[in-house]
Amino acid sequence: MIKLLIDNIPVEVPEGTNVLEAARSVGIIIPHFCWHPALGRAGACRACAVKMLEGPVKGLQMSCMLPVQEGMVVSTSDKEALAMRKGVIEWLMINHPHDCPVCDEGGECQLQDFTIAGGHSIRRYDGKKRTYRNQYLGERIEHEMNRCIQCYRCVRFYQEYAGSSDFGVMGRAAMVYFGRQCDGPLESPFSGNLVDICPTGVFTDKSARFRARYWDYDMAPSLCPHCSLGCNTIPAARYRELLKVIARRNDSVNGWFICDRGRFSNSPVNAPDRPRQALLDGTPVSLSQALDALAERLRTFLDLNGPDSLGIVGSPRMSLEGNLLAARLRELTGSGTLCYFGDAVREERTMAALHLLDSRLRASQEDVRKADLVAILGCDLLEEGPMMALAVRQAWRNGARVFRIDGNGGQSDLYPSAELSSLADAPFSEAKNPVVICGSLHKGSDEIPNMPAGAKLAFVLEGPNDLGCALLARERGAVSLPTALESGRIKGLICFEADIPADMIAGLQLLAAADWKSTAAVRAAGIVLPSTAWIEMDGTLINNEGRAQRFKKVMNPGLPIRGLDPAKHPPRVHRHDAPGGDVLPAWALMAGLIERLGGERIDQPLSGNWEALRGLNAEGGGEIVL
Amino acid sequence: VVTFDEYCSEGGFRALRKALSEMSPLDVQQAVIDSGLRGRGGAGFPTGKKWSFVPRDLPGPRYLICNGDEMEPGTYKDRFLLEHNPYLLIEGLALACYALGVEHAYIFIRRGYEQACENIRQGIAQARRTGLLGENISGSGFSLELDLHQSAGRYICGEETALMNALEGKRANPRVKPPFPAIKGLWGQPTVVNNVETLSNIPAIIANGPAWWKGLAATPEAAGTKLFCPSGHLALSGCLELPLGTTLGAIIDGPCGGMRPGSSFKACIPGGASTPFFTKQHWDVPMDFDPVAKAGSRLGTGGIIVFDQETCMVGVTLNLIRFYARESCGWCTPCREGLPFVRQILERIEQGRGEHGDIEILREHVQLLSYAFCALAPGAMGPLEGLLRLFEDEIREHITAKRCPFKKS
Repeated sequence: MIKLLIDNIPVEVPEGTNVLEAARSVGIIIPHFCWHPALGRAGACRACAVKMLEGPVKGLQMSCMLPVQEGMVVSTSDKEALAMRKGVIEWLMINHPHDCPVCDEGGECQLQDFTIAGGHSIRRYDGKKRTYRNQYLGERIEHEMNRCIQCYRCVRFYQEYAGSSDFGVMGRAAMVYFGRQCDGPLESPFSGNLVDICPTGVFTDKSARFRARYWDYDMAPSLCPHCSLGCNTIPAARYRELLKVIARRNDSVNGWFICDRGRFSNSPVNAPDRPRQALLDGTPVSLSQALDALAERLRTFLDLNGPDSLGIVGSPRMSLEGNLLAARLRELTGSGTLCYFGDAVREERTMAALHLLDSRLRASQEDVRKADLVAILGCDLLEEGPMMALAVRQAWRNGARVFRIDGNGGQSDLYPSAELSSLADAPFSEAKNPVVICGSLHKGSDEIPNMPAGAKLAFVLEGPNDLGCALLARERGAVSLPTALESGRIKGLICFEADIPADMIAGLQLLAAADWKSTAAVRAAGIVLPSTAWIEMDGTLINNEGRAQRFKKVMNPGLPIRGLDPAKHPPRVHRHDAPGGDVLPAWALMAGLIERLGGERIDQPLSGNWEALRGLNAEGGGEIVL
Repeated sequence: VVTFDEYCSEGGFRALRKALSEMSPLDVQQAVIDSGLRGRGGAGFPTGKKWSFVPRDLPGPRYLICNGDEMEPGTYKDRFLLEHNPYLLIEGLALACYALGVEHAYIFIRRGYEQACENIRQGIAQARRTGLLGENISGSGFSLELDLHQSAGRYICGEETALMNALEGKRANPRVKPPFPAIKGLWGQPTVVNNVETLSNIPAIIANGPAWWKGLAATPEAAGTKLFCPSGHLALSGCLELPLGTTLGAIIDGPCGGMRPGSSFKACIPGGASTPFFTKQHWDVPMDFDPVAKAGSRLGTGGIIVFDQETCMVGVTLNLIRFYARESCGWCTPCREGLPFVRQILERIEQGRGEHGDIEILREHVQLLSYAFCALAPGAMGPLEGLLRLFEDEIREHITAKRCPFKKS
């Protein structure tokens, strides 16, 4: 640890920290544009000037470029440093269009913040401003080059961090241009991060264009549900519509970024025609009526057919809370069958993965980023978990060697790799921090014995709660749905957010489905219970690493205002809830059913072995539960 | 052009043969240290000392780059050497490579120097044919490959780290220092970058000994000779080799034959466009690194641009700032945005739209641009600093009269 003094505050930070970060650690934010924790130093913007008063380095210095040294005495508010900062801001504002009122970045703009902080207020330049032509960069990202302050973050992220080359910097001097050779969609599967890292409004999210200011948004710490990695996000919604998703920092998981699949897959949540109305044999009823009817039909069904004929189906895309109550519902009904996976192969592989993860050192995304040898077992990371591919790229950038085994595809421009026929051929003995990554479609069991004990293992699974379901399946004795149906005893199913092929649910006496997506089960069910999407509720997911993470409710459920065309406009009557808002989280639907069937009242779905997770902090980075 | 045979008959490659047969690499380095040779590219860093920073025990190759990207306005000495005597440079390069244990060197030449490139290309071919380049030179066991790279053509490519990026096929932005090129340079390997003129001095140092070479200077403090490139309102101009330490006045009144008829000396740029002006008060300053620095400017490249009494110094400075604003690589804010701001202010002063407050803005820029990423912007502030220090009255005259006093009509 290195000790230094910043603005008379004693600071102690690890060696290798720069002065800017050291100041940040005690709450002093030095204005900066080009420096970014994940991209490192560039020294381009010159805004972070500080005055070094005593110690090994003297005079005005750029704090992002200066590693801390013992005995440094730093002033962030020295006259000279302030003059430099003011000068830099003045230069940046010479050509900035100052179009904040019509800029989507307004209110969440680093340039605005630091312009105020820098103290530049009166314009002295009276010449013409430089202007550029914008480019069409696809349907996701808006390009407005006139706002650019040339911090080079975009190109450093795009080319260096994310490894794509279709976007870059061109030209020179005051005319440098950040864009593509010609108009066209950005090719990188991580392009959306340009929106997050641009310190001003050059890259903005088209889906949120002109829709809201930062302070208008409903926002909360959340998780990405689109693969198993559990990347941290901040969804931003307004008027019951998810407008954009921002990456949320979690150093152990996604770091600072997310992939485009996670960022730009908003439409199912906003779909006006997603299940929002409880249905009883096709007739709209209130959610409460639907639950009453389901309890009634269930009693009759059980009397008639016996408990063995009922299956309760949870899902790897449902929260841990829901899947846990599914097990309780099975217990209460005495039903013989609890299922979490609609696919026998997926269940088998996920259970095998859980078994292997139990006996091995587990690798987080951060472990992958810091690995010096990465061996990928038969999976296409960009397809199965794009952020894992980005993590492998960071390892490669730091000098790691990357190997593919049993690779059906999986080759990537992100990281040059060599193909091996067996994991045993990988030079583990030469590596200090080796990591093996195994895909969800690969059992791994043939190759994992070839992995040395010191190596860490990561599985890339399919859904956001696959591992949670595997844990519950082991704890509560669940089987896959096809296995359950094979016996021929099942005559009724209650499905919660379950993706089941239509042929498995044909000819049942009783079918009820709770979901926010229009699945085959919802379309076929006699009783439809609309549930909330993840951004409309609190919950817990267990990612591929066995990390339990909490997501918080972002917005109230209901029809987005934008979804209400005049013909569908609701009658103007007073009501307490929003139109389309008579929905509940899947776990609450189960709690309602349990209570109606004579069970206990459940306010806290996490109980038993899982009670410890009740206090899980959504912003605490998560907790390993394996 | 000096032909190969002419060069050899005048003692060419004698120094290389001597070094390979009689001297160890460290002997050669020591001779260069003893000679007091300072870099001729503009910064004047002692050459032998620069060489001594190169670690000799790191794995992998070391590189030497000859910087022939001569783009400093008012400077044409490297062009003269490259076009007239390519073998002198090739021999100097070979000696430097021998001293540093370099087996692959590059000559990086300015885009526009077509003739120079052609001559060097032929020189390299000839040297290779005669066994002075390539494998096992003169049976000494020392091998050297020499490649010519013609720049894509930007001023910033002359900055040594930008030059290395350009050679690697990247954008010619300067790199972060440290690590310095001597430790981590071209392709991450230890690299020395030396100017054409610097390297061209080495054969003479080795052939005749460092003491002889050092003694060529005009003053005891200076070492060797220097190429000067006088231009402007002089009776005669051309590339001159003069003892280092010759006074400014002696250069102008001597080989340059004084000013043009009807002209009188007002000011000059002493060492290429990025150096602060000299005026009549600097007439007797010895043109050597330290005395020129003491007098408030820099010897730089030795490109002396002379202005007569009819010259508007605001206009001169504006012209230079336009060059630098255009040649900024665009990496850091002070250079990319600050230089156009300075240009705009000088334009409005020159056009009679200036205000007295503008002088303060210019002063701020001289101060703040010293904190740019590389030396381009601070260099660009050289003439502006000189203008503010020596010609403030002339600026105020523009502002008060609302016109340039030197413009007729």
